[in-house]
Amino acid sequence: MRANVWSGRNTVQVENVPDPKVLNERDAIVKISSTAICGSDLHLYDGYIPTMKRGDILGHEFMGEVVETGRRVEKLTVGDRVVVPFPIACGNCWSCKHELYSLCENSNPNAGIAEKLFGHPTCGIFGYSHITGGYAGGQAEYARVPFADVGPFKIEDDLTDEQVLFLSDIFPTGYMGADFCDIKGGESIAVFGAGPVGQFAIASAVMLGAEQVIAIDQYDYRLAMARNKAGATDIVDFSKDADIVEQLKLLTGGRGPDAVIDAVGMEAAHGHGALHAADRVKQATRSETDRGHALRDAILACRPGGIVSIIGVYGGLMDKFPMGALMNKGLTIRTGQCHVHRYIKPLYERVRNGDIDPSFVVTHRLGLDLAPDAYETFKHKQDECVKVVLKP
Amino acid sequence: MPTPPRPIDSTLHGVTDYTAGTLLITAFPKLAGIEGTRSAGQIRRAGAIHAAYSTITDYPLGIVKLIPYKAHLAIDAIGALSLAATPFVTGQWKKGRDQWLPHVGLCLFELASLALSDPTQKGDFHGDVDTVRRANMEDPHQKIHNGGPALATARA
Repeated sequence: MRANVWSGRNTVQVENVPDPKVLNERDAIVKISSTAICGSDLHLYDGYIPTMKRGDILGHEFMGEVVETGRRVEKLTVGDRVVVPFPIACGNCWSCKHELYSLCENSNPNAGIAEKLFGHPTCGIFGYSHITGGYAGGQAEYARVPFADVGPFKIEDDLTDEQVLFLSDIFPTGYMGADFCDIKGGESIAVFGAGPVGQFAIASAVMLGAEQVIAIDQYDYRLAMARNKAGATDIVDFSKDADIVEQLKLLTGGRGPDAVIDAVGMEAAHGHGALHAADRVKQATRSETDRGHALRDAILACRPGGIVSIIGVYGGLMDKFPMGALMNKGLTIRTGQCHVHRYIKPLYERVRNGDIDPSFVVTHRLGLDLAPDAYETFKHKQDECVKVVLKP
Repeated sequence: MPTPPRPIDSTLHGVTDYTAGTLLITAFPKLAGIEGTRSAGQIRRAGAIHAAYSTITDYPLGIVKLIPYKAHLAIDAIGALSLAATPFVTGQWKKGRDQWLPHVGLCLFELASLALSDPTQKGDFHGDVDTVRRANMEDPHQKIHNGGPALATARA
């Protein structure tokens, strides 16, 4: 089959690779109809996530048709149209029983690596390095899906792929980011980063009843999408004024937002001054793994007693973390890889009811063979690129 | 082919230029223990020259955009090697390690900075946007700017 594989820093190639096989009687094989490039794929692309090997198949946002099932798969049959959540969950461990699916204790065969880095292992993830199990990803024609009775979510109507594909990751991730903010109605929420996850965080905050949702970015087309499509009430363009904290105070009557959502993660680009310069050099020389500008500003901007919701991906260690601001302002941090399985059904119902059309984020739909150029276009924000969907 | 990281863009390089230049003129000789020696004067002059041509470089932190950035990088390399060679040309290296080691150390620092500096000022983009545009089944501009909101509550 054809698959998009990692070939080194800043290099992916579409190659012929062996078709996946059922290895466990609870596996299913999915023929992929649509797959997407995620912002977190860029951390792999840029070489910031260790343990990648040449030939690893990328991609953790995918959907398609079940073409084969293992003997013990009961809930899926050949021909089912499914969306596959990016975290792989067994459904039976303590974490899964408590709906903490991205913390599944059984799905990561390389748990030892994760345990060394994080203190405890976390779940397996499709196409996201050997730290998360080394599973082949979904930027391919087929994928093997373990625990097939737990993960894949059946789509039983005629919604388009682009309307349901993002249930695999970015829509639930954005929604979880907003859910973490404890929105009861009337709050002011600031979302750092108007990429695809940020767009869904904005839309979700609006859906949950926030009165003011502020989108923060440096690219005018992403801010336009946030305002025109996702429902942002205000925008902050930090390419014009880098003092985000002050601008947020001005927009919120001097108090600061009730909650902030970091939808940026470890490759924050908006830093300025000496601290940003130091971060860039340290990250490039791998003496620091994560650039923390967005998170630092989020913590400084959040009103005292507020909530900092972190859904941007971080991998390792960050310098100059504003612990004093966090503690003295009494902030609450809520974070994690999304527990997709918890959110996928209610969000699917929202899509079916017409509450939201998730396809709004798709700016590029391309054949799988254009994956290398698509990655470059996405990474460098060319051609007003917000989200790329690939068709195998 | 994988590319080695060259994360220092022209802005960051400018920050380095002015910081290093200022440091060499002011505190470096004392910190290196060579204050009052011939080496101190040489290093101070090198720092001043470096800061001076930085101000007339065509990059974000240049005041007068005169010297092309690639030429600036070439001058950096030549200047670094010249500084390292100076103690050996003048013979002062015979007077002790402190009369050549700072020069060589600064040269190595400058060359490392150059190795990490992106000379193109375009980052490391190597995609084919035209092919992407032709093949794209969506119209990004239309998608972003036209049509109604994605949320029913916003549409109502």
